[in-house]
Amino acid sequence: MAVKFLLILLVPLLGGLVYGLERVVRARMQNRVGPPLLQPFYDMFKLLDKQPIMINSYHIVFAIMHFITLWVVVAMIILGDNLLYIIFLHLLSSIFLVLAGYSVNSVYSHMGSNRELLTIVAYEPILILISVSFYMMHGSFSIDTIYEHHTTLPSMALLFVALLLIIPIKLKKSPFDATEAHQEIVGGVEIEFSGVFFEILYMAKGIENIFVYALVILFAGDSYLLAMVLCIGVFLLINLVDNATARVKVGDLVKIVLSLGLLLSLVNLIGLRYV
Amino acid sequence: MFNLSRFRKKSPWILHYNAGSCNGCDIEILACLSPRYDLERFGVINTGNPKQSDIFLVTGPVTMRSRERIVELYMQIPEPKVVVAVGSCACTGGVFRGMYNVEDGIDRYIPVDVYIPGCASSPELIMDGVVKGLEILESKTKEIEKPKQLYKDEVVTDGIVDRSHMAQKVKK
Repeated sequence: MAVKFLLILLVPLLGGLVYGLERVVRARMQNRVGPPLLQPFYDMFKLLDKQPIMINSYHIVFAIMHFITLWVVVAMIILGDNLLYIIFLHLLSSIFLVLAGYSVNSVYSHMGSNRELLTIVAYEPILILISVSFYMMHGSFSIDTIYEHHTTLPSMALLFVALLLIIPIKLKKSPFDATEAHQEIVGGVEIEFSGVFFEILYMAKGIENIFVYALVILFAGDSYLLAMVLCIGVFLLINLVDNATARVKVGDLVKIVLSLGLLLSLVNLIGLRYV
Repeated sequence: MFNLSRFRKKSPWILHYNAGSCNGCDIEILACLSPRYDLERFGVINTGNPKQSDIFLVTGPVTMRSRERIVELYMQIPEPKVVVAVGSCACTGGVFRGMYNVEDGIDRYIPVDVYIPGCASSPELIMDGVVKGLEILESKTKEIEKPKQLYKDEVVTDGIVDRSHMAQKVKK
């Protein structure tokens, strides 16, 4: 239990490390040297040192709420809570980010929020179907029960592919990074944040990484080895795809994810029910 | 006390603005960020967002249209910040010096910390200039730095500084 609480406290640090490793791996894939591994922490100290500019108080409060709810989501996963609750609480954290985007008078921020809402429409059904099929496998939504059983990867392979399809959306990576789109809408929701307040969103991005890899680990069941293999494999695959593809438009994103992802998960669900 | 200012030079984020340049210097700046020179190994990110930037890279002689924008962008960068003028045009006006539609360099409008010569500046020179700018960044304070023209003083109410209207438009 003490180990779990320590892990929960260390989640933002862990998220920063994953983000730093990601930047190094991406640079090596492009034949570059890349920044040091601890670069997110250097960024953090620099952002703490900058003069903060506040647009309005709601903007900041929503960002802090987004960060805290994400942290609670990951804490609930570590403590082995109900998977369905976790997915709805994660939806709440995304909604806080959308509200933060709408609370300022900036066109790019509003566009980022619109796109964030559209991507929620695309990926949320798949997350719910994943938790429903875990219920059908084990008769419980509890994450502790999932960890007690053997791996469900063979019978939920199509759902795992659907999860792979929505991971780039959550981590804001090509081809599904239309919500952030630095060259196009300059970061979308995060455009008006500066200094300490941007650091909150920056850490939230790291925690989002941890959330996604925690979802991947659920598929491994009680096998630590499979969990590690899945995490490393997904990490390398996502970064390879990020380097190799261009951005798709947000409308096409919704069409691709809703048609292909939802089809795969529904086929898998029907298979679990009747086969 | 933990000294945060030494981390400034470890993650300088760049804002790049073209104030009427011929695009030569812009291509050289992008070459700096590409795999051959790889400025990212110093922690540099080309953010494109003034509110999250530390280093303001300006190219081009300031044209009449771009002077309001350059002051506005400069005011939106939170302190501490460093301005780097890239190329002969941004330093002095270059071949456009004395023409009726340019302003002979950016230092008529905003205080410049590093001048990088060359038409166009080579990527090596730009990297040297950015590294020089990092030394200056480390020694700067968090006082509000003001442009030289087209601004008015900040409004302070209840100890909160309102800097949203400091940059002004050119009077017709």
